[in-house]
Amino acid sequence: MEKWDVVVVGGGPGGSYAAKTAAERGLNVVFLERGRKPGEKNASGCGLGQRWWRDFPEIMEELPSLPSYRKVEMVVINLVDENNRLRMRSGTTGSDLCATRWKKGMEGASVYRSELDPFMANLAIKAGAEMRTSTLANDVIMENGRVAGVTTDNGHTLKADVVIAADGAMSTMARKSGMRNRWGSGCTLVPQLDFSCNEERLDDVIGNAEWCWFGPFYGAYQVNFRDGFHLGAGQWLRKDWDMKPLDMLKRVMEVPAFQSMMRVLEAKPREYQAHLLPWMESPPKTYTGGMMLVGDAAGFPCPLEGEGIWHACISGRIAAETAADLLSSGDVSEKSLQEYERRWKSSRLGLEHQFGKEFVDLWDSSIFNPEMMKKQIQILLEFSMLHPFSVVFDWGDAHIEAFNQHLEHFLDLLPEFEDFGRNYIAPLGEGIWPENQRRILLLLREKMPVLKYMPEKSFLRLAKLIYPKLKAKI
Amino acid sequence: MEEIKLDIKKLVSRVSSGETGDFISFDPQNCNGCGKCADVCSFGLWSVKDGKAKLSKRYKELCLECAACWEICAREAIDFSYPAGGTGVVIKYG
Repeated sequence: MEKWDVVVVGGGPGGSYAAKTAAERGLNVVFLERGRKPGEKNASGCGLGQRWWRDFPEIMEELPSLPSYRKVEMVVINLVDENNRLRMRSGTTGSDLCATRWKKGMEGASVYRSELDPFMANLAIKAGAEMRTSTLANDVIMENGRVAGVTTDNGHTLKADVVIAADGAMSTMARKSGMRNRWGSGCTLVPQLDFSCNEERLDDVIGNAEWCWFGPFYGAYQVNFRDGFHLGAGQWLRKDWDMKPLDMLKRVMEVPAFQSMMRVLEAKPREYQAHLLPWMESPPKTYTGGMMLVGDAAGFPCPLEGEGIWHACISGRIAAETAADLLSSGDVSEKSLQEYERRWKSSRLGLEHQFGKEFVDLWDSSIFNPEMMKKQIQILLEFSMLHPFSVVFDWGDAHIEAFNQHLEHFLDLLPEFEDFGRNYIAPLGEGIWPENQRRILLLLREKMPVLKYMPEKSFLRLAKLIYPKLKAKI
Repeated sequence: MEEIKLDIKKLVSRVSSGETGDFISFDPQNCNGCGKCADVCSFGLWSVKDGKAKLSKRYKELCLECAACWEICAREAIDFSYPAGGTGVVIKYG
């Protein structure tokens, strides 16, 4: 029987980052991967956002050396109407703020997990962690009501002071230790097709961007790599599931604009994958005696856009640091491991989940709801016609007439949008920083003749009386 | 509209050697024949016969290891583990 300070189950980004951190903190650590090499069993899109430059710059610097790497500087949204016509294509390129907030502006990266995972596992090995591949951890060892190690399918028993479970959405470790079974309604299924394509054409037509396809269907993402791309869609695995996974992708592939893109890029389906992706309002309990859950196993993926790799690496780092700190005192009881939850909740990972319910509700009633999308696209299109540039290019009538006609149409549609705004957009207002709330209020005051003469202090007090949820310091 | 034809079984790679072992188990006693497992399976490995779900005998050579059948079964009639380490699906482009 072997004895380790830390056994990490799973050799994905979360597991590797946990193993790397534990090794750097001087712990004796092994990580187990069920594939023949890391990345062989991955579950991912996989785009890495700008925040990676802040939190893992040493990884971002090295990614261009991986064969599938594509720099990403914007996300382009393709809006399709109920007649399958592409109606709007708009991109997020970032403002001046984006350019100065991070040293790399809006730069992110796309890279296949089959390349990223071995790269990250190597970082852990270099730091001193031991890796075992083709090794499936199939059970936990329980001692005195707490996790004390794992067993593997090749007959080994690995005892550990702390187990870090980074074994994905289905987490055998979480289930066998009795923490949970199914996710219930908080998990999605994501079918995904990888396409090969002509690299130069991809450079010319799409460039350094990710794409999305939104319409009266289950919204789809298109992650672009050096010479290929992923098309993925998804939906929560609930009672109302109503479609074959592959049909979600076929529905997008039928769109003429998608077909023309495929023709131009000489795109051909190359690989089919399907993965579970937890998409939770807030993660359930993430620790038990002797064990912490990280990444997808914990339910950490972003409640707004489903990215999970950053969340896995951040939680892996926090879990390993917590293990190192607690092991120096020798207490890794359930009570003491509460510290892990306290730490991730007070990190940016926790902040992402503070509005988990609002984000999930918003997604559930838009991108994942084909009926609602019909209406929302209509509103968005009419709203875009009020944009100064759109007015210039509407030659249907004298321009001021055209503007008024669009305004009238938009106002007619607005009541249909009212419920959506009240139920799904307004709750996000609570996330506005108190200082920004105060500035909005004072701007409003400037525009209202009566209030303008009221002293600032009295005005803010009045505002708080009308809207008690206001957090602005008064 | 042009119909999309795709044979996704040809778009999956697997380790050619090694035994996966049994990794899906099914308890007919808990099954109410709702058929959700059949709806979520990309390869149609589940069907419903006589009011009970039925798993294809060839699942070990066809399963994508997504575990959606386990997750959607509200009655917990399906248990899923993974194929033995070093066997099963290989993701090359993901």
